[in-house]
Amino acid sequence: MNDSFRQSSSRRVVSRASAADVGRLGHLLVDAEQRRITAVVVGKGRKARLVDWDEIIGFGPDAVIISDDAAARPPADDHEGAAAHGEFELVGRRVLTDRGTEVGVVDDVTFDPGTGSVLALLVGEREVPAGALLGSGSYAVVINAVAED
Amino acid sequence: MKILMTASQINGLPVVTARGGDDVAEVRDVIYDPGVGRLVGLTLNKRGFLSGRRKEVLPAEAIHAIGRDAVMIVDEESLIRPKDAPEEVGRPATDRNVLGNDVLTESGVNLGVVEDLALLVGGVGEVVGYEIGKPGGGRGYIPLPAQLAVSGAALVVPDATEDFIRDDLTGLGAAVDDFRARLGLQ
Repeated sequence: MNDSFRQSSSRRVVSRASAADVGRLGHLLVDAEQRRITAVVVGKGRKARLVDWDEIIGFGPDAVIISDDAAARPPADDHEGAAAHGEFELVGRRVLTDRGTEVGVVDDVTFDPGTGSVLALLVGEREVPAGALLGSGSYAVVINAVAED
Repeated sequence: MKILMTASQINGLPVVTARGGDDVAEVRDVIYDPGVGRLVGLTLNKRGFLSGRRKEVLPAEAIHAIGRDAVMIVDEESLIRPKDAPEEVGRPATDRNVLGNDVLTESGVNLGVVEDLALLVGGVGEVVGYEIGKPGGGRGYIPLPAQLAVSGAALVVPDATEDFIRDDLTGLGAAVDDFRARLGLQ
Protein backbone atom coordinates (compact mmCIF):
# COMPACT_ATOMS: atom_id res chain seq x y z
CA MET A 1 0.00 0.00 0.00
CA ASN A 2 1.52 3.28 -1.08
CA ASP A 3 1.58 6.30 1.16
CA SER A 4 1.79 9.98 0.37
CA PHE A 5 3.28 13.12 1.90
CA ARG A 6 -0.14 14.64 2.50
CA GLN A 7 -1.67 11.48 3.93
CA SER A 8 1.20 10.99 6.35
CA SER A 9 1.35 14.61 7.50
CA SER A 10 0.75 14.97 11.28
CA ARG A 11 0.87 11.20 11.81
CA ARG A 12 2.04 10.31 15.33
CA VAL A 13 5.65 9.30 15.77
CA VAL A 14 6.27 6.77 18.53
CA SER A 15 9.50 5.42 20.04
CA ARG A 16 9.67 1.62 20.12
CA ALA A 17 12.01 1.66 23.11
CA SER A 18 9.78 3.78 25.35
CA ALA A 19 6.41 3.49 23.55
CA ALA A 20 6.18 7.24 24.12
CA ASP A 21 4.93 9.72 21.54
CA VAL A 22 7.90 11.64 20.16
CA GLY A 23 5.82 14.13 18.21
CA ARG A 24 3.90 14.58 14.99
CA LEU A 25 5.27 13.96 11.53
CA GLY A 26 6.15 17.12 9.63
CA HIS A 27 7.47 17.01 6.11
CA LEU A 28 9.71 14.42 4.51
CA LEU A 29 13.18 15.08 3.11
CA VAL A 30 14.02 13.65 -0.27
CA ASP A 31 17.29 13.02 -2.06
CA ALA A 32 16.25 13.98 -5.59
CA GLU A 33 19.13 12.11 -7.18
CA GLN A 34 18.38 8.84 -5.40
CA ARG A 35 14.62 9.45 -5.49
CA ARG A 36 14.16 8.33 -1.94
CA ILE A 37 13.27 9.74 1.46
CA THR A 38 16.42 10.27 3.52
CA ALA A 39 14.87 11.62 6.72
CA VAL A 40 11.61 12.80 8.22
CA VAL A 41 11.00 15.94 10.25
CA VAL A 42 9.21 15.60 13.58
CA GLY A 43 7.67 18.69 15.12
CA LYS A 44 7.88 22.24 13.91
CA GLY A 45 9.89 25.42 14.20
CA ARG A 46 12.81 25.51 16.61
CA LYS A 47 11.73 22.22 18.14
CA ALA A 48 11.88 20.44 14.80
CA ARG A 49 14.00 17.31 14.89
CA LEU A 50 15.12 14.88 12.24
CA VAL A 51 14.82 11.13 12.12
CA ASP A 52 17.00 9.39 9.53
CA TRP A 53 15.09 6.91 7.40
CA ASP A 54 17.29 4.05 8.70
CA GLU A 55 16.02 4.72 12.24
CA ILE A 56 12.42 4.11 11.18
CA ILE A 57 11.23 0.66 12.22
CA GLY A 58 7.79 0.89 10.70
CA PHE A 59 6.13 3.55 8.59
CA GLY A 60 2.53 2.51 9.23
CA PRO A 61 -0.86 3.94 8.33
CA ASP A 62 -1.54 5.08 11.90
CA ALA A 63 1.90 5.68 13.36
CA VAL A 64 5.54 5.92 12.48
CA ILE A 65 7.61 3.78 14.83
CA ILE A 66 11.22 4.85 15.39
CA SER A 67 13.91 2.87 17.24
CA ASP A 68 14.20 5.04 20.34
CA ASP A 69 13.71 8.60 21.55
CA ALA A 70 17.32 9.50 20.70
CA ALA A 71 16.66 8.73 17.02
CA ALA A 72 14.89 12.09 16.84
CA ARG A 73 17.95 14.33 16.71
CA PRO A 74 18.50 18.06 16.26
CA PRO A 75 19.68 19.23 12.81
CA ALA A 76 23.42 18.54 12.45
CA ASP A 77 24.30 21.57 10.30
CA ASP A 78 22.88 24.65 8.58
CA HIS A 79 21.72 22.63 5.60
CA GLU A 80 19.78 20.23 7.82
CA GLY A 81 18.49 23.17 9.83
CA ALA A 82 17.13 24.77 6.67
CA ALA A 83 15.67 21.43 5.65
CA ALA A 84 13.99 21.03 9.04
CA HIS A 85 12.42 24.46 8.56
CA GLY A 86 10.91 23.36 5.30
CA GLU A 87 13.16 25.18 2.84
CA PHE A 88 13.38 22.14 0.59
CA GLU A 89 9.83 20.94 1.17
CA LEU A 90 8.61 19.34 -2.06
CA VAL A 91 4.89 19.85 -1.57
CA GLY A 92 3.93 23.34 -2.74
CA ARG A 93 7.14 23.84 -4.73
CA ARG A 94 6.96 24.99 -8.35
CA VAL A 95 7.72 22.44 -11.04
CA LEU A 96 9.86 23.31 -14.07
CA THR A 97 10.72 21.06 -16.97
CA ASP A 98 14.36 20.98 -18.04
CA ARG A 99 13.14 22.90 -21.13
CA GLY A 100 12.31 25.85 -18.88
CA THR A 101 8.52 25.54 -18.83
CA GLU A 102 6.61 25.80 -15.59
CA VAL A 103 3.95 23.09 -15.30
CA GLY A 104 2.48 23.77 -11.85
CA VAL A 105 3.29 23.04 -8.23
CA VAL A 106 3.78 19.76 -6.41
CA ASP A 107 0.46 18.88 -4.76
CA ASP A 108 1.58 15.61 -3.27
CA VAL A 109 4.30 12.95 -3.44
CA THR A 110 3.64 9.21 -3.28
CA PHE A 111 6.19 6.80 -1.86
CA ASP A 112 6.70 3.22 -0.78
CA PRO A 113 6.56 3.25 3.04
CA GLY A 114 8.57 0.03 3.17
CA THR A 115 11.63 1.36 1.36
CA GLY A 116 11.22 5.15 1.34
CA SER A 117 11.43 5.17 -2.47
CA VAL A 118 9.62 8.07 -4.06
CA LEU A 119 7.12 6.80 -6.64
CA ALA A 120 5.60 9.87 -8.23
CA LEU A 121 4.96 13.59 -7.94
CA LEU A 122 1.36 14.70 -8.27
CA VAL A 123 1.28 17.99 -10.15
CA GLY A 124 -2.29 19.15 -10.68
CA GLU A 125 -4.02 16.44 -12.68
CA ARG A 126 -0.87 14.73 -13.80
CA GLU A 127 1.28 12.12 -12.17
CA VAL A 128 4.99 12.56 -12.87
CA PRO A 129 6.92 9.31 -12.30
CA ALA A 130 9.86 9.62 -9.92
CA GLY A 131 12.18 8.58 -12.74
CA ALA A 132 11.58 11.97 -14.37
CA LEU A 133 12.83 13.86 -11.31
CA LEU A 134 16.12 15.61 -12.16
CA GLY A 135 16.66 17.89 -9.18
CA SER A 136 15.07 19.82 -6.39
CA GLY A 137 16.20 23.03 -4.76
CA SER A 138 15.40 26.44 -3.44
CA TYR A 139 13.57 27.58 -6.56
CA ALA A 140 11.97 24.59 -8.19
CA VAL A 141 11.64 20.88 -8.70
CA VAL A 142 13.04 20.10 -12.14
CA ILE A 143 11.59 17.26 -14.18
CA ASN A 144 12.53 15.73 -17.49
CA ALA A 145 10.53 17.38 -20.29
CA VAL A 146 10.26 14.09 -22.19
CA ALA A 147 8.07 12.72 -19.42
CA GLU A 148 6.04 15.90 -19.65
CA ASP A 149 5.46 15.85 -23.43
CA MET B 1 7.87 22.55 -27.35
CA LYS B 2 9.15 25.39 -29.54
CA ILE B 3 7.80 28.86 -28.88
CA LEU B 4 8.80 32.36 -29.92
CA MET B 5 9.78 34.97 -27.37
CA THR B 6 11.19 38.45 -27.67
CA ALA B 7 14.50 39.32 -26.02
CA SER B 8 12.66 41.60 -23.59
CA GLN B 9 10.50 38.66 -22.49
CA ILE B 10 13.66 36.65 -21.83
CA ASN B 11 15.23 39.44 -19.80
CA GLY B 12 14.38 38.88 -16.15
CA LEU B 13 13.81 35.13 -16.44
CA PRO B 14 15.39 33.12 -13.63
CA VAL B 15 18.44 31.03 -14.49
CA VAL B 16 17.83 27.66 -12.84
CA THR B 17 20.12 24.63 -12.42
CA ALA B 18 18.52 21.43 -13.70
CA ARG B 19 20.39 19.28 -11.21
CA GLY B 20 19.94 21.51 -8.19
CA GLY B 21 16.64 23.30 -8.82
CA ASP B 22 18.25 26.53 -7.62
CA ASP B 23 17.79 29.96 -9.16
CA VAL B 24 21.39 31.13 -9.36
CA ALA B 25 20.90 34.28 -11.46
CA GLU B 26 18.49 36.06 -13.72
CA VAL B 27 18.82 37.23 -17.30
CA ARG B 28 20.02 40.81 -17.66
CA ASP B 29 20.25 40.90 -21.44
CA VAL B 30 20.78 38.70 -24.47
CA ILE B 31 24.07 38.90 -26.36
CA TYR B 32 23.31 38.57 -30.02
CA ASP B 33 25.58 38.35 -33.04
CA PRO B 34 23.57 39.67 -35.98
CA GLY B 35 26.24 38.53 -38.43
CA VAL B 36 25.46 34.89 -37.71
CA GLY B 37 21.84 35.45 -36.62
CA ARG B 38 22.39 33.71 -33.36
CA LEU B 39 22.18 34.27 -29.64
CA VAL B 40 25.74 33.87 -28.35
CA GLY B 41 25.13 34.27 -24.64
CA LEU B 42 23.38 36.01 -21.79
CA THR B 43 24.49 38.66 -19.33
CA LEU B 44 23.21 38.19 -15.80
CA ASN B 45 21.87 39.90 -12.74
CA LYS B 46 21.82 38.53 -9.24
CA ARG B 47 18.50 37.12 -8.15
CA GLY B 48 16.11 39.29 -6.25
CA PHE B 49 14.80 42.80 -6.41
CA LEU B 50 17.44 45.50 -7.09
CA SER B 51 20.26 43.13 -6.33
CA GLY B 52 22.60 44.22 -9.11
CA ARG B 53 24.70 42.80 -11.84
CA ARG B 54 26.51 39.48 -11.75
CA LYS B 55 29.92 39.68 -13.36
CA GLU B 56 29.74 36.22 -14.91
CA VAL B 57 28.21 35.55 -18.31
CA LEU B 58 26.43 32.51 -19.69
CA PRO B 59 27.70 31.42 -23.13
CA ALA B 60 25.03 29.93 -25.42
CA GLU B 61 26.88 26.60 -25.47
CA ALA B 62 26.32 26.25 -21.73
CA ILE B 63 22.56 26.88 -21.95
CA HIS B 64 20.59 23.68 -21.52
CA ALA B 65 17.34 25.34 -22.63
CA ILE B 66 15.58 28.67 -22.80
CA GLY B 67 11.93 28.25 -21.93
CA ARG B 68 8.87 30.35 -21.35
CA ASP B 69 9.45 30.47 -17.59
CA ALA B 70 13.16 29.90 -17.04
CA VAL B 71 16.59 29.53 -18.56
CA MET B 72 17.91 26.10 -17.61
CA ILE B 73 21.59 25.32 -17.06
CA VAL B 74 23.19 22.12 -15.82
CA ASP B 75 24.89 23.67 -12.81
CA GLU B 76 26.45 26.91 -11.62
CA GLU B 77 29.77 26.00 -13.29
CA SER B 78 28.10 27.10 -16.53
CA LEU B 79 28.41 30.73 -15.44
CA ILE B 80 31.89 31.93 -16.33
CA ARG B 81 33.92 35.12 -16.07
CA PRO B 82 33.92 37.25 -19.23
CA LYS B 83 37.68 36.82 -19.64
CA ASP B 84 37.22 33.04 -19.76
CA ALA B 85 34.35 33.30 -22.24
CA PRO B 86 34.57 33.28 -26.04
CA GLU B 87 35.39 36.73 -27.48
CA GLU B 88 31.87 37.42 -28.80
CA VAL B 89 30.35 36.66 -25.38
CA GLY B 90 32.94 38.17 -23.05
CA ARG B 91 33.55 41.31 -25.11
CA PRO B 92 30.73 41.71 -27.63
CA ALA B 93 31.31 44.32 -30.35
CA THR B 94 29.41 47.46 -29.42
CA ASP B 95 28.90 48.58 -33.04
CA ARG B 96 26.86 45.48 -33.86
CA ASN B 97 23.80 46.41 -31.90
CA VAL B 98 20.76 46.13 -34.16
CA LEU B 99 18.25 47.81 -31.84
CA GLY B 100 17.30 51.17 -33.32
CA ASN B 101 18.59 50.24 -36.77
CA ASP B 102 16.55 50.97 -39.88
CA VAL B 103 15.40 47.90 -41.76
CA LEU B 104 15.85 48.49 -45.49
CA THR B 105 14.91 46.11 -48.26
CA GLU B 106 17.31 45.51 -51.16
CA SER B 107 15.01 47.71 -53.28
CA GLY B 108 15.41 50.51 -50.78
CA VAL B 109 12.10 50.42 -48.93
CA ASN B 110 12.25 51.29 -45.23
CA LEU B 111 10.20 48.69 -43.31
CA GLY B 112 10.75 50.24 -39.89
CA VAL B 113 13.12 50.35 -36.92
CA VAL B 114 14.30 47.30 -34.99
CA GLU B 115 12.82 47.37 -31.48
CA ASP B 116 13.35 43.83 -30.25
CA LEU B 117 14.62 40.39 -31.21
CA ALA B 118 12.34 37.39 -31.73
CA LEU B 119 13.89 34.11 -30.64
CA LEU B 120 12.83 30.54 -31.14
CA VAL B 121 13.11 29.10 -27.65
CA GLY B 122 12.72 25.62 -26.18
CA GLY B 123 16.25 24.81 -27.30
CA VAL B 124 19.24 27.13 -27.23
CA GLY B 125 17.44 30.14 -28.69
CA GLU B 126 17.85 30.94 -32.35
CA VAL B 127 17.12 34.52 -33.41
CA VAL B 128 14.57 34.15 -36.21
CA GLY B 129 13.15 37.64 -36.54
CA TYR B 130 12.88 41.21 -35.37
CA GLU B 131 10.11 43.20 -33.84
CA ILE B 132 9.95 46.48 -35.74
CA GLY B 133 8.26 49.81 -35.24
CA LYS B 134 6.66 50.56 -38.59
CA PRO B 135 7.24 53.96 -40.23
CA GLY B 136 3.51 54.71 -40.09
CA GLY B 137 3.31 53.64 -36.44
CA GLY B 138 2.36 50.27 -35.02
CA ARG B 139 4.37 47.16 -34.52
CA GLY B 140 5.27 44.29 -36.77
CA TYR B 141 7.44 41.20 -36.84
CA ILE B 142 9.76 40.27 -39.70
CA PRO B 143 11.48 36.94 -40.27
CA LEU B 144 15.21 36.83 -40.85
CA PRO B 145 17.37 34.87 -43.20
CA ALA B 146 20.10 33.02 -41.31
CA GLN B 147 22.68 35.73 -42.07
CA LEU B 148 22.49 39.41 -42.63
CA ALA B 149 24.68 42.46 -43.27
CA VAL B 150 24.54 44.81 -40.30
CA SER B 151 26.29 48.16 -40.01
CA GLY B 152 25.13 49.45 -36.65
CA ALA B 153 22.88 52.00 -38.37
CA ALA B 154 20.88 49.92 -40.84
CA LEU B 155 20.39 46.40 -42.00
CA VAL B 156 19.50 45.29 -45.49
CA VAL B 157 17.00 42.47 -45.89
CA PRO B 158 15.71 40.61 -48.97
CA ASP B 159 12.75 42.19 -50.77
CA ALA B 160 10.66 39.13 -49.93
CA THR B 161 10.69 40.22 -46.29
CA GLU B 162 7.98 42.75 -47.02
CA ASP B 163 5.51 39.95 -47.81
CA PHE B 164 6.18 38.28 -44.49
CA ILE B 165 5.61 41.11 -42.02
CA ARG B 166 3.30 39.77 -39.31
CA ASP B 167 1.32 41.41 -36.53
CA ASP B 168 2.29 39.07 -33.71
CA LEU B 169 4.82 36.45 -32.63
CA THR B 170 2.49 33.58 -33.44
CA GLY B 171 2.15 34.81 -36.99
CA LEU B 172 5.91 35.22 -37.22
CA GLY B 173 6.40 31.62 -36.07
CA ALA B 174 4.42 30.38 -39.06
CA ALA B 175 6.08 32.86 -41.44
CA VAL B 176 9.72 31.98 -40.68
CA ASP B 177 9.76 28.61 -42.44
CA ASP B 178 7.80 29.90 -45.45
CA PHE B 179 10.09 32.89 -45.71
CA ARG B 180 13.25 30.81 -45.61
CA ALA B 181 11.74 28.37 -48.12
CA ARG B 182 11.06 31.30 -50.45
CA LEU B 183 14.69 32.36 -50.18
CA GLY B 184 15.79 28.81 -50.87
CA LEU B 185 17.44 28.52 -47.48
CA GLN B 186 15.69 25.34 -46.44
